[in-house]
Amino acid sequence: MNRSQLLGLLVLSLAPAGAQALTPSHYLSLSDVSRLQNLLSQPFTDLQSAYYSVVGLSKLGGIVPDHQEVCQFLKSQLDPSSVDSLFFAAETSQAISGCEIPVSNETRDILLAAVSEDSSMTQIHRAVGALSSLGLPLASQEVVGALAARINKEDNVMAIILALQTASRLSQQAELGRILEEIEDLTARLDDLGGIYLQFEEGLEATALFVAAAYALSDHVDVEPPLKEDQVIQLVNSIFSKKSWDSLAEAFSVASAAAALSNNRFHVPVIVSAQGPATVSHNQPTLQLLVTDVMSQPLTSASVLVESAFAVATKSAILSQTPFTLNDGVFELNFMSSQPASGYYQFTVAVTGDSRLVASHVELKVKVSTEVSVSNMDLSVVDKDQSIGTKTTRVDYPSKAKSPFTADSHQNFAMSFQLVDVNTGQELTPHQTFVRLHNQKTGQEVVFVAEPDSKNLYKFELDAAERKSEFDSMSGTYSLYLIVGDATLENPILWNVADVVLKFVEEEAPAAVQPKTLYVPKPEIQHLFREPEKKPPTVVSNTFTALVLSPFLLLLILWFKLGANISSFSFSPSTILFHVGHAAMLGLMYVYWTHLNMFQTLKYLAIIGGVTFLAGNRMLAQKAVKRMEKK
Amino acid sequence: MSNSVLSVISRFLEEYSTTTSTKLKVVDAYLLYILLTGALQFLYCLLVGTFPFNSFLSGFISCVGSFILAVCLRIQINPQNKGDFLSISPERAFADFLFANTVLHLVVMNFIG
Repeated sequence: MNRSQLLGLLVLSLAPAGAQALTPSHYLSLSDVSRLQNLLSQPFTDLQSAYYSVVGLSKLGGIVPDHQEVCQFLKSQLDPSSVDSLFFAAETSQAISGCEIPVSNETRDILLAAVSEDSSMTQIHRAVGALSSLGLPLASQEVVGALAARINKEDNVMAIILALQTASRLSQQAELGRILEEIEDLTARLDDLGGIYLQFEEGLEATALFVAAAYALSDHVDVEPPLKEDQVIQLVNSIFSKKSWDSLAEAFSVASAAAALSNNRFHVPVIVSAQGPATVSHNQPTLQLLVTDVMSQPLTSASVLVESAFAVATKSAILSQTPFTLNDGVFELNFMSSQPASGYYQFTVAVTGDSRLVASHVELKVKVSTEVSVSNMDLSVVDKDQSIGTKTTRVDYPSKAKSPFTADSHQNFAMSFQLVDVNTGQELTPHQTFVRLHNQKTGQEVVFVAEPDSKNLYKFELDAAERKSEFDSMSGTYSLYLIVGDATLENPILWNVADVVLKFVEEEAPAAVQPKTLYVPKPEIQHLFREPEKKPPTVVSNTFTALVLSPFLLLLILWFKLGANISSFSFSPSTILFHVGHAAMLGLMYVYWTHLNMFQTLKYLAIIGGVTFLAGNRMLAQKAVKRMEKK
Repeated sequence: MSNSVLSVISRFLEEYSTTTSTKLKVVDAYLLYILLTGALQFLYCLLVGTFPFNSFLSGFISCVGSFILAVCLRIQINPQNKGDFLSISPERAFADFLFANTVLHLVVMNFIG
């Protein structure tokens, strides 16, 4: 591919990316900021809480009450031999005015000794912080060396964030490039959730402290942090999505991040929101926008303009490059002066005036609402064969027609009207134009839709004969209501226009209208268990049992008569065994019937049967031999 | 008409009692017994109803099965049919009869319920 093709491809790929820039979905509203300040204003009992509360509050721009008392507290709680205690006291004293922590040579030595490769990152950070706040000299290059060594040993996210914070307190002459690179490494470790959130898996506190530390160091060395615009917005979403904070440390981290994002040299995310609903109408012709930073502080130095605005329905452009005017901290634009028709408009708003602004192009949906009036409402009863001329009655809103209209199965009831925009005089086609007929006696109601024709004239016709099923053929007086509604209408209409007496043929016996009995307990189902079958009387079955067994008697008699005998019974063991086995098998059959199941029976049968078979085989063989001999 | 039927029957019975051996008559008596038992079961079913239908079926099929096996036994032990059953001795026929009856009655007992 030659260079021009490559360039073209690059431009094409960038174009859609620019069109879908991310805008912040979470930020600290004024109530969120006050809630955060309340959390940080709680009374503190130790130096660490004092540090979080006082320093956090001052970052949010809140006022710390009673500086003298705080200072006394710091001095009383201070333990000059502990690096942590010195850090908290020193940092807090810097946030309030007129508080000096006394420093001795021992203190200075303890702090300097803590700055070494062998202390933990937290220790180094606190020592350097204390030294810096107390105004004591420190050797920046040594600190950088210690930091670099500790980063190699403690590779977790919190340690590197502390290193960034520490580096922002050192002299600008020191070589902070090595530490500065860590910002990019940490950015790579962030988790992207759905393209909307970017956060560390260690949680909110780590993410917020990272933002604060990264911008602190970047401002200190005046090098733009390697964070893309979208990444900054994703970080904003992650940090400010949580609106109630579990601990002082978490609240402090959010306050630090908010302060860093609203006031640094490189990236200031801007929040554009409409004040109230984004609706304009004749009564309210100006569109008001609030343009603030992430802490809801107004950006008054910015200038806001509408890059383009077009109607959503027709896609026709209505505004282009129109500026907003700043009025008492709010940006206003009189949209009605462009005389837009009612409906929805898509605005693209651009905020300019500061090169640091991030997410400065915002898409906004604005609704223009209006009022509707019904005109030329004509009601008439038309004969179906149109032999008799129609008599049209005009009714004016909001009065009702004086006499009721009567329509039976030979006639149609017709209604026509126009819906007009009060302000522009144009015809409107709202979403909801219904005609409701309400039977006063039975409470029945039937709703129809009135449709506009090609000239935007609404027509409604009721054919009594055709529609009788919807009315359940219930004749009577019906109140006719016209219902007009739409999202862009400020005055929806419910108008009792007239009474209509409908006469239906084949009226069924008027059954009282049953409200839908869907939720009433249903009739109980009686379950019929299977009836046991009728058994014949015991006498009958006993008789037949005897009867069925009687042929056996006959058999014995016959055999006796024939002379069957067991005279040739030989008492050899196999014969006896065979007969015993056979008898056992018959017994097994009986036992099977009464007690056993198939598997057990088969088991016993196998054993007995096997024995019987062998014995029988022997016996029959002997018999065969005997028979052969006899021959 | 009835005369000729009667005379045919009496001739048949006479010839039967003279020509058939005792062994075969014993088996025939057994066959008659089975037949009567089955017929009486069927009669009960017609008169009273099929209430324990599985019991009726098992009883009836027992009769039918036993009848068939006994007929087979009779055919096989009849010396006049020796030519058709050269490899099967009467003892073998009887053993087969006993075995088949065992299987039949096992199934019948299972089904009798």
